[in-house]
Amino acid sequence: MIELRDITKTFSSRQENLLALNAVDLSIDTGEAFGVIGESGAGKSTLLRMVNMLERPDSGTVKVDQTDLTTLSKKELRQEQKQIGMVFQQFNLLNNLTVADNVKLPLTLHDYADPLTLDDVLAFVGLSDKKHSYPQELSGGQKQRVGIARALITRPKLLLCDEPTSALDQNTTEEVVAVLKKAHQEFKMTIVVVTHELPVVKSLCNRAALMEAGEIRQIVKINRSSSEKTIKPYLDRAREVLADD
Amino acid sequence: MTEWLPVYLERLVDFTPRLLESLWETGIMLFFAMIAAVLLGLPVGTLLYMTADGRPMANRLANRILNVLVNAIRSFPFLLLVIAMQPFIRQVYGRATGDPIAASFPMVVIAIALYARFVEQSLMEVPKGITETAQSMGATNRQLVFKFLYVEARSSLVIGFTTAVISFVSYSTIMGVVGGGGIGDFAIRFGYQRFETDIMYTAIVLIILLVELFQWLGLKLARKLDKR
Repeated sequence: MIELRDITKTFSSRQENLLALNAVDLSIDTGEAFGVIGESGAGKSTLLRMVNMLERPDSGTVKVDQTDLTTLSKKELRQEQKQIGMVFQQFNLLNNLTVADNVKLPLTLHDYADPLTLDDVLAFVGLSDKKHSYPQELSGGQKQRVGIARALITRPKLLLCDEPTSALDQNTTEEVVAVLKKAHQEFKMTIVVVTHELPVVKSLCNRAALMEAGEIRQIVKINRSSSEKTIKPYLDRAREVLADD
Repeated sequence: MTEWLPVYLERLVDFTPRLLESLWETGIMLFFAMIAAVLLGLPVGTLLYMTADGRPMANRLANRILNVLVNAIRSFPFLLLVIAMQPFIRQVYGRATGDPIAASFPMVVIAIALYARFVEQSLMEVPKGITETAQSMGATNRQLVFKFLYVEARSSLVIGFTTAVISFVSYSTIMGVVGGGGIGDFAIRFGYQRFETDIMYTAIVLIILLVELFQWLGLKLARKLDKR
């Protein structure tokens, strides 16, 4: 599904050249839920942004379904991008639009053969009652679920998540992870999640790449059986952690 | 003590036709300036934003040219701009003096340059993530501008427009030098030059009320549009 070959990317500023990605190779299969783990500055977000060409590599090829995105014209690229959904750390909702208008936004940019309906996708993320609200009236977790609904409404073949839970507290994180997991099961798209939060990858992904200093150090298979822990309410967990000695 | 009042009212009634006429002239000049700000200032400001380094239509040459033009117009002392444009206005309009439409040409030029800067500033306030989101969805630049940037910047665009219009009122008071008329010209000619101080202050109070009205309308609309 995704084939990254020999990707190198340098960010230049006046002071220094930062090597963000150093000859990275990566293959991700169709239908896989793939995690990219690393500390901040490891290059994981840059890697993710290569997959939909928000960032262009200095060298190397980015293939999605056999198409090398680096060689496409702008118009051809937009046709590929319309099939790739993206979820952002800061949600990136339009604050002047209602939840409904935010979610429908991608459908106003392109024609889609078989999109989900607004009501279905809002029900799917559990926000049917917030249809006419503005983002400012929502909690962080709700905003991110709107972001996910906006990505899902087009039935993307590929869903990219850039630190989807990093702006959220732990309980909300679990709520968002649960929605992503459900989306993966129901719509069978390929998911790539970039995060520094290990539990997110543990509960969502089949495989994960560990990144450091612009390179992939290792790719691990995730053992899911031990990860099915129950979600405890915040206060219970706080009591556990704080009273623990 | 109140003896001056009937005198003043009588003079006011005498001057009212002239006063209304000059308000009408101001209205004409403001009308053309506002139309130009929206139809041309908005696109120029958007291009200033979009062609800057690191933006979707980054183009150093185009950005430099637009910047130099806008700066040149804005740094031109307005009175000299009015005079410098006389030959041009005479060419395209037939006459350069003595009517508010001829006087609108320099107003249009300053309106475009001034509002373009306000638009650029408003767009800079939109978080970068919004542009990225549009690009990740495969939006064209036109879609990015109309469906993302203008939507998020709309209340700021309205506030900038309000500030611009208030500057237009101020600029319009100069147009008396080429016979463009207007309420400012009225205050100077009848009030200052003929020592009719009460009439001068009447005109000035009218200008203040006009500005208050624009400010109030602008803020009200901006607040209504702002859901952030």
